[in-house]
Amino acid sequence: MATQEAHPVTEHAPHKRRLKAPGKRNFSKPVRVLMLAALVLFSGFPLYWMLNTALSQDSELYGQAQGWWPHWERLADLGDVIGTVPIFKWLTNSMVIAGGTTLLSLIFAVLAGYALSRFKFYGKGAAGFLLFATQMLPEALLVVPIYALFASLGLLNGMGGLILANVAFTMPVSVWIIKGAIDAIPYEIEEAAAVDGCPRVTILSLVLTPLILPSIAAAAVINFFDGWNEFLLAKTFIAERDLWPASVGLASFIGQYLTSLNSVMAAALLFTLPALIFFLLVQRRIVSGLTAGSVKG
Amino acid sequence: MAKLSLRNISKRFGDTQVIHDFSADVDNGEFLVLLGASGSGKSTLLRIIAGLTDPTKGDIIFDNLRVNRQSPRERDIAFVFQSYALYPHLTVRENITFPLALDKFKAWHHIPGISAIARRIFGSSKEVAERVDSVSSMLELDEYSKRKPGGLSGGQRQRVALARALIRNPSMFLLDEPLSNLDAKLRAELRGEIVRLHKLTGKTFVYVTHDQVEAMTMATQIVILHNGIVQQHATPQEIYARPANTYVARFIGSPPMNLMSATVADGQPALGRLRLPAPEGLRLGTGPVTLGLRPEHLTVSADVDGPGLPGTVRRIEDLGADTLIGIQPDRTLDLKLWELNQDDLIWIRQTGQTRLMTGDPCTVALNAGMASYFDSDTGANLASAAEVSDAGMLSSHG
Repeated sequence: MATQEAHPVTEHAPHKRRLKAPGKRNFSKPVRVLMLAALVLFSGFPLYWMLNTALSQDSELYGQAQGWWPHWERLADLGDVIGTVPIFKWLTNSMVIAGGTTLLSLIFAVLAGYALSRFKFYGKGAAGFLLFATQMLPEALLVVPIYALFASLGLLNGMGGLILANVAFTMPVSVWIIKGAIDAIPYEIEEAAAVDGCPRVTILSLVLTPLILPSIAAAAVINFFDGWNEFLLAKTFIAERDLWPASVGLASFIGQYLTSLNSVMAAALLFTLPALIFFLLVQRRIVSGLTAGSVKG
Repeated sequence: MAKLSLRNISKRFGDTQVIHDFSADVDNGEFLVLLGASGSGKSTLLRIIAGLTDPTKGDIIFDNLRVNRQSPRERDIAFVFQSYALYPHLTVRENITFPLALDKFKAWHHIPGISAIARRIFGSSKEVAERVDSVSSMLELDEYSKRKPGGLSGGQRQRVALARALIRNPSMFLLDEPLSNLDAKLRAELRGEIVRLHKLTGKTFVYVTHDQVEAMTMATQIVILHNGIVQQHATPQEIYARPANTYVARFIGSPPMNLMSATVADGQPALGRLRLPAPEGLRLGTGPVTLGLRPEHLTVSADVDGPGLPGTVRRIEDLGADTLIGIQPDRTLDLKLWELNQDDLIWIRQTGQTRLMTGDPCTVALNAGMASYFDSDTGANLASAAEVSDAGMLSSHG
């Protein structure tokens, strides 16, 4: 025991101890669990309250105080409320719009990101900067000219036009995410592929894309949620009720005189689920360290 | 299969001229080493041969065919990178199969996921599997075939890179300092491996290195580059025995050749007061020359009155089988050592151990028959210069 006291056993190698930044320390496990629990509660509570509201009586919501526990027995009634609107049609539309936006935006972003990262051309800096033109102005300002443009092109009242407009707003960020990822890939890998016989497009699709998959996944999440949540353009461009995405459909619950809060919340819950599933599927791809072992640093 | 000819290759990067008017012919099956310090343009030259960099001027000719405009793949070469450049997302086996699979690549394989499936089907075909098996067993990679490059050591990674180069059976192998990221033991091991592959395939190898040991042990021909200019193109033996100029003399050999200022009177050279016999087959005029002698062509004895250069032992480096002895020549000799000689000493290599101690007075005997004579201004070897003027040739080809 005496020797152990002289040389206390530590979890860390001594050099790690020395390298640790001053003031930086690890919290003990119970503290970490507590902090995580607080975070989960903080971000999860609104979701819970949505469920609770959806299952509450109107009288509860407008009259007495809302209870803490959901009335599960009202679950059957909710189906009837939601059945009065084509919610699944709207969700499908949202899927098409968000999915289309993600796919198109990623294809453009990979191509543009590659060009910005690897090629030297005149006006490269300006091109990269101009990509953000749509981000520099408020969306509401751009709605009017885009509306006029789409009207003359016959792109109004259709999901295709909406996807195009969404891509214009979501792509720039993706381009820069992808550009940064490609910058980090050693150029020798591309040269090795060229010697092995890859044309440029094939290098991009066969070699680079798998390597930047984490960044593509991150960009996909951003694009998908942008497309899924987008309201302003959809509300402006699409008049036909059957073509509405769920975001517009949800808003239609809010009437001038009467808003059935519990049905809004029930629909909102349904609206959240597909996005949640998409995120859970994609987030596993957002890992780093895929290029390890390719080249000596 | 492939004879490589380079004609007047020049390369500029902006204002910097990296390669000056390089010409060389390499016969099929040769092992050419491009040797030079960093910044000598050797890697750029290799990349130009590969088609990864375009020359500013000049022609690259493979078997009488000008390939300047051909892609690396069309040139049918394999390139091994210093940094291995493996595909990190593929296993060792997939890395090796990759170049073959590209032959079967279709446009619709661009769709994500399809190409991976196609490659798997292709790789499991009997013919391909056998080929991959034979290459990976040749390089002793069988047990790692399912690992990704991240789980391999440096030596194993470079073996995978070699296997990837071998699998396509290219007509020429280009290797860009493939061993310089490895430790000394692995380096020696892989050096043997590469020589073995060269013998086995019988293909042309062009190998870039800054390591003279690699060059001397592997090459059938060496090109020494300095600031983009060829210093000498010859066999390793020729380069060692008859360096074309003082740069080559100093670059090759460890410790390098001893260079001393000598004077010639009526064709007879002298080091200070020590007169040397006139070299055979070389007429020296009158005036200063630079005399070069390899450390093994000098002997040292404790006999102070013997014939030779008197001096004092300053350094003794025991290498086991050999001993290196650094001698400071007597000042009264008025002997000028070439300014770059290590520590201003004359270095002698002697087999076995020495009885001499640091500080002992001694005498250095010269094997004058092995001496090289260089022009004291240009540094060019006077012997090869004489030969050139005799034969009316322009190159110092071995």
